[in-house]
Amino acid sequence: MSAPSIANQITKRPWLKKMMMPLANWYANAAGYRKLGLRADDLIPEESETVLLALKRLPQKEAYDRVFRLRRAFQCSLSHQLLPKEQQTKPEEDTPYLSPIIAEIEAEAKERVDLEAMTISKKR
Amino acid sequence: MISRSAIARNAQLGLRRQCCAQPASRRGLAAAALSGSTSFSYESADVSGVKVASRDVAGPTTKLAVVAKAGTRYQSLPGLTTGLSEFAFKNTLKRSALRITREAELLGGQLISYHTREALVVEAKFFKDDLPYFTELLGEVVSQTKYTAHEYHEEVEHVIKLSQQALQGNVSELAINSAHGLAFHRGLGAPLYPTASTPLSKYLNEESIHQFANSAYSKPNIAVVANGAAQSELTKWVGEFFTGVPSSAAPLSSETSKYFGGEERIPHGSGNSFVIAFPGSSSFTSGGDYKPEIAVLAALLGGKSSIKWSPGFSLLSKASSSFPGASASTTHYSYSDAGLLAMQFTGSAQAIRGASTEAIKAIKTIADGSISQEDFTKAVANAKYRALEEGQNIEAGLVATGAGLVQGGKAFQIEEVGKAVQGVSIEKLKAAAKALLESKATVSAVGDLHVLPFAEEIGLTV
Repeated sequence: MSAPSIANQITKRPWLKKMMMPLANWYANAAGYRKLGLRADDLIPEESETVLLALKRLPQKEAYDRVFRLRRAFQCSLSHQLLPKEQQTKPEEDTPYLSPIIAEIEAEAKERVDLEAMTISKKR
Repeated sequence: MISRSAIARNAQLGLRRQCCAQPASRRGLAAAALSGSTSFSYESADVSGVKVASRDVAGPTTKLAVVAKAGTRYQSLPGLTTGLSEFAFKNTLKRSALRITREAELLGGQLISYHTREALVVEAKFFKDDLPYFTELLGEVVSQTKYTAHEYHEEVEHVIKLSQQALQGNVSELAINSAHGLAFHRGLGAPLYPTASTPLSKYLNEESIHQFANSAYSKPNIAVVANGAAQSELTKWVGEFFTGVPSSAAPLSSETSKYFGGEERIPHGSGNSFVIAFPGSSSFTSGGDYKPEIAVLAALLGGKSSIKWSPGFSLLSKASSSFPGASASTTHYSYSDAGLLAMQFTGSAQAIRGASTEAIKAIKTIADGSISQEDFTKAVANAKYRALEEGQNIEAGLVATGAGLVQGGKAFQIEEVGKAVQGVSIEKLKAAAKALLESKATVSAVGDLHVLPFAEEIGLTV
């Protein structure tokens, strides 16, 4: 799921983050998903084992809300309409709810691989 | 004529014995001196609120256990204890379940968690040198497990469902659970594993388990028991690694057990099991209520032969030997404030019917006093052996000691148990048997109910 990203490097440096934020907000708004009532994490492609597992681990309420947002967005897309302004996703609502779980699963998988590839040396 | 080779062989043997005798005994002493005390009694101490007991037996391995007063008796909702014991060694704040497993494997250790009706045990077995590592691990499991939702849904819940199904197919477990339920209703009467019809999704989730863990693993509620570790070492490491354990959560409690008794019949398609139970004695570690004559009575009733090629002296094995297809056994379940003396019959329904009738007659003969002195002596010897073996048996000793410490602050002392059993007289035994017959019995039948007898049919009052 995770494409190479420099977001981490940017958020680590407050001055750089301050510079980039207006640009990031402009981009997110221009991408148009917020006008369909979606969140950024709704756009993550589901076709991978990791994301499927992460979706299973979502709390019930979150999973329900996600499906609701997706269906509403499909309807809007079919009828070539945008949601009324008050129903569109506000920037402060656009929080990552799925990507932390995905990161956790990826960390687990990485740990497993690391442990499996570990070489053991005897104490001298 | 004596053949030459025979003389030569005897001479050789004699010589060998002579030269071996001394070094062997010397080595024994040396080993004992090296490892400190080889006594079978536990030393106990209190390390900043956590009770610690250890016994330093010789040998290269150690067994370390955290015994919590959180068995099925103390669970506030059905299945909590099972859930908590399944959550042992899962993800903690410091490391993942996978890492715990791999690290333990690398050190050659074994990690186990299980529960009884009164105690929840989280246990590690390992080489003596690794004591600090495993003490840290147990401290971490007890105080820093994360209880995540996904582990509950992906792993714990699945295992609990399997154990439910396994219990459903096991008639003898069903019968024992049913007998406990009849005898004690709540508390000790709760089934050891959730039964198949327990609505788990209603009661059990990661949050309720986490809440239960907070009170189950609090300082006054746990004891750390080690077998094969020096007391000084253990107290040092426990003092270091058990600091994160909460000291005063709401303590788990259960009402004082009261015996009720009664009869329950459960139809079952695969196998038959029949349990007749009477009020027993509480365990040795509880102090006052300990009645050694019940242990002797259990040995006298017996059922399973302890020697080969003979049905043995015990009354139940004699009674059931004329009913091929039935096997009987007597177990004395002793708890901190109550006990249950249970005779269990398994096998074909018809044979069980006959054997159980004979068994009641056998108890009546004990109560009448027409029991031979020889049988009585055998029973005392058997009961004493069993009690001492249980103390020496590392597994049972650990749990008994831990439970004793948490419940009443008394460790399992093997010498005293032996003395108590030795002191039982035939009159005491008679009185105990009489008291059993006068009290209300607990009878539970699982299997083919058309054939299995009612309590009243075999001469018991329920």
